[in-house]
Amino acid sequence: MFKTIWFLNRFMHRHSGVSKHKSVVRWWSSAAEGAVAPPAECSITAEQAIRLWTQHFTLHGISEPLLSSQYIISHVLGEKTLECVQRKRLRDTLTDRERESVWALCSKRLTRMPVQYVIEEWDFRDLTLKMKPPVFIPRPETEELVSLVLEDLRLMRGTDLRCLEVGCGSGAISLSLLRNIPQLRVFALDQSQTAVCLTMENANRLGLQDRLDVYHLDVIKDADAILSKCDPVDFLVSNPPYLHSQDMETLQTEILRFEDHSALDGGLDGLSVIRPILALSSKLLTQGGRVYLEVATCHPPVIQKLVEEMMPGLLYLETRCDLTNRPRFCVLQKKGEDD
Amino acid sequence: MTSPLLVHQRVLAACKLRWGSLNTGTSLTLPPHWRLTGWPCVLAAGKKYQIDLPEVHEEDLDEQFVRGSGPGGQATNKTSNCVVLRHIPTGIVVKCHQTRSVDLNRKRAREILREKLEIAYKGEESELVKMKKESIQRKQDKRKKVNENIEKKRQFKEMLSADQEDDKC
Repeated sequence: MFKTIWFLNRFMHRHSGVSKHKSVVRWWSSAAEGAVAPPAECSITAEQAIRLWTQHFTLHGISEPLLSSQYIISHVLGEKTLECVQRKRLRDTLTDRERESVWALCSKRLTRMPVQYVIEEWDFRDLTLKMKPPVFIPRPETEELVSLVLEDLRLMRGTDLRCLEVGCGSGAISLSLLRNIPQLRVFALDQSQTAVCLTMENANRLGLQDRLDVYHLDVIKDADAILSKCDPVDFLVSNPPYLHSQDMETLQTEILRFEDHSALDGGLDGLSVIRPILALSSKLLTQGGRVYLEVATCHPPVIQKLVEEMMPGLLYLETRCDLTNRPRFCVLQKKGEDD
Repeated sequence: MTSPLLVHQRVLAACKLRWGSLNTGTSLTLPPHWRLTGWPCVLAAGKKYQIDLPEVHEEDLDEQFVRGSGPGGQATNKTSNCVVLRHIPTGIVVKCHQTRSVDLNRKRAREILREKLEIAYKGEESELVKMKKESIQRKQDKRKKVNENIEKKRQFKEMLSADQEDDKC
């Protein structure tokens, strides 16, 4: 705490635009982590707030201190990223409302809440989606999964298509596909009711609800119900929980404390949800229909072996890498009558 | 109605005719669905115009993201998605952090690069430079007109109050 006060004094002296800094220092010294109220009469610019909070986050060991600060303050100013905020605006004094908002949101970040939950939204490809804990936050790798599917379907423009998404979370994959393929109909499911509600909410916000059905179903327990509601589909897509149980405890605090563990934990070998998805897909897919999965980097050869040995109805087509050049995506296909 | 692919192929042919081959014998390797939206340009101000911009070849690009050494995928929650794109033949570097999506930042970085290449290749003849100049000229003309109108109104008011003075006498 003394370190904070010393730091703050140095900061104030260096950036003399902040008035009444003594009251700010007194206020700061009485603030407890995670319960920080904004100083009542203190004028501060956006730029100064970013610097202040970056330093504060760094002091408290918050990951990505600069980025967190930039995203939150940009959001309060009505923009997605700092690059979108006009230079001049950054040097304007924050209004009372803006300042209070910045302080309230940054205080949440101090509790290690992921930025996406703090600002309650995030971008996925060309969509902006609402985020709500503990529904799983879409990862950048999953954007590539969608690209992969769109590439494959490019030549099928004009035909009506049906797709199943298992584990829809916030709806990122389904809604991206719906936005890009006008003739697609999607059945999405998740074992979490909160996720189902959030997917529907995002669908409504984006005007994509007409071609989407979302179900509160578990791919392990409710396979029959899924078959009766969705059969048949032209392709299946999923970013299922794929982490190994023993790796769960080494995760960042942001993830452990705020995201749904059942959206991450794939059991002992990370395949506890992937296996039933593959079993379901051989019953649900039309002939030649494909399965697109995001998986752990160690999974592709294991899945290939599993399919070759135990799932005669499915053909392992290929493994694709993500942008960090790690094996990340598996593409499989339902065999035809002749295969 | 012609399909988008055919239209794009015609544009590409036109570009090649105009620009020549920027590289010898190499083919476009951009992800297919990007190619279709490749050629409208986006100026920094966010306005869209339809210009023939130079195509870029993926093998000429060096792309960097801040990814860190973590496991990635579900095991990581990082918000760094800034893209830095370097065009190797010309050395032009584009940095894009306009959105919170890596995919979209990559696309935008390529669009911005294509605009920069257009200006670099064509100099004064660049469509973009011309458009910018026209835009500045239009704004100047508009400001001039506004000032003239203000002046006219001021003179008119002076005239009116002078008339009123005369009437009183």
